[in-house]
Amino acid sequence: MCVLCAQMLNEIHWSERQLRPEWITGGAGEATRRRERRARIAVIGAVLRHYGLEIADDWSATNYLLGDRKGNRQVLAGLGELWPAAGRMAGRVLDPLDEALLDRLAAAPESAG
Amino acid sequence: MSGQGRRAVSVLSGFLGSGKTTLLRAYLQRRAADDIVVIINEWGAVGVDHHLVRTATEQSVLLQGGCVCCARREDLVRTLRELLDLEQGGKLPPIRQVVIETSGLADPVPVLFTLATDPVLRHHFAVASVVVTLDAVHAGDLIDRQPEVGKQIVAADRVVITKPDLSSAGRVAALTARVRQLNPAARIGVSCLGEGAEALDLPDEAEPARAWTIDPPPAVPHPDVHSATLGFSAPLDWPSFSVWLGMLLEAHGPQMLRIKGLLDIGEAGPVVLNTAQHTVHPPEHLAAWPGGNWEPYLVFITRGIDPARIARSLEAFQCAGGRRGLRATRIDQAFGERS
Repeated sequence: MCVLCAQMLNEIHWSERQLRPEWITGGAGEATRRRERRARIAVIGAVLRHYGLEIADDWSATNYLLGDRKGNRQVLAGLGELWPAAGRMAGRVLDPLDEALLDRLAAAPESAG
Repeated sequence: MSGQGRRAVSVLSGFLGSGKTTLLRAYLQRRAADDIVVIINEWGAVGVDHHLVRTATEQSVLLQGGCVCCARREDLVRTLRELLDLEQGGKLPPIRQVVIETSGLADPVPVLFTLATDPVLRHHFAVASVVVTLDAVHAGDLIDRQPEVGKQIVAADRVVITKPDLSSAGRVAALTARVRQLNPAARIGVSCLGEGAEALDLPDEAEPARAWTIDPPPAVPHPDVHSATLGFSAPLDWPSFSVWLGMLLEAHGPQMLRIKGLLDIGEAGPVVLNTAQHTVHPPEHLAAWPGGNWEPYLVFITRGIDPARIARSLEAFQCAGGRRGLRATRIDQAFGERS
């Protein structure tokens, strides 16, 4: 548990770990974490739009908010939960090899974060 | 990969009678080290004379909703935590290396999964390499008949072909070609009576990427297992790459047999990546590129998925992350295969 915000911190997904742990002690860790998190959310958002879903950060940049156009919402503790939850909400498997998805991503550079 | 002060774990696997114990015994005699702990399954305990031997009865717990590779080896969790307690309580000397000898029928991937995901162990142990022994006399037939053997080869970082003296040069060459078909990223050595025991040595920490040498692909590819080595026209965007890889492993984990890479993400040193099916070793950032003439690369070993689709998908995700125009091309064969 974080002693400042009382958030329960569970599993940290491998993609969310700091590649350079020494930056944390150097004081640059939080800024880097937030920047990389924003960039990840931008890419995830571009993918999820193809399936009618959306993702947002929570106030503490700890959880993710997954939603659809019908108003369904789910709080996710980490990226390990994202793809299974998104698949359930979309009602189908989210496949990164799906040609239609790839065409959309390749045609939408403005979605870059 | 035994970075950040964690104890190195070498996983020694191989089918029944393929020479695992001979290799291990030779390694322990050569090293005569107090800082190596050996964990052996209950059938392999006979024949290893080493003062730090633990036996473990292999017990796998399949996680809910997980596939076979997402099995947690409870016996290893218990044994390794016990070792950690003993070491930290001063009852064992500092541990430098743990060698886990699996049973002949074991799939090494659950061992990797356990070490990568256990909330305690992952901070104290890191997989250094998976070493697989193959008997030159029988392995050619076993690859076809025993699915465990194919899994062990695919999971291997190093393959040691044993008993060449009981076989022929032609059979050893044919077996080497079969192994290369299944796992082009593995280093292959030949050992007679345990003389190739250096396969269990830890990767040279001064030059960690030496163990990542990629040989050319086999002349005759495997009908179902595809392998490809990709190179890139520009540094990768790491956030996009990690999103892509996470989604790919979620959708196709069981078919993504291995992914290994040395990636340029636009910083002074590369990121070392290693996955086995769903299991991702935490990627490590090296301070600098290893000596020599290194190029970034990403190796895929897949079952039933065309590598060209993977390359296209990676490019599209990089485009979404702002790396428009980044190209992922095969560097293990002449251009022209990709459309």
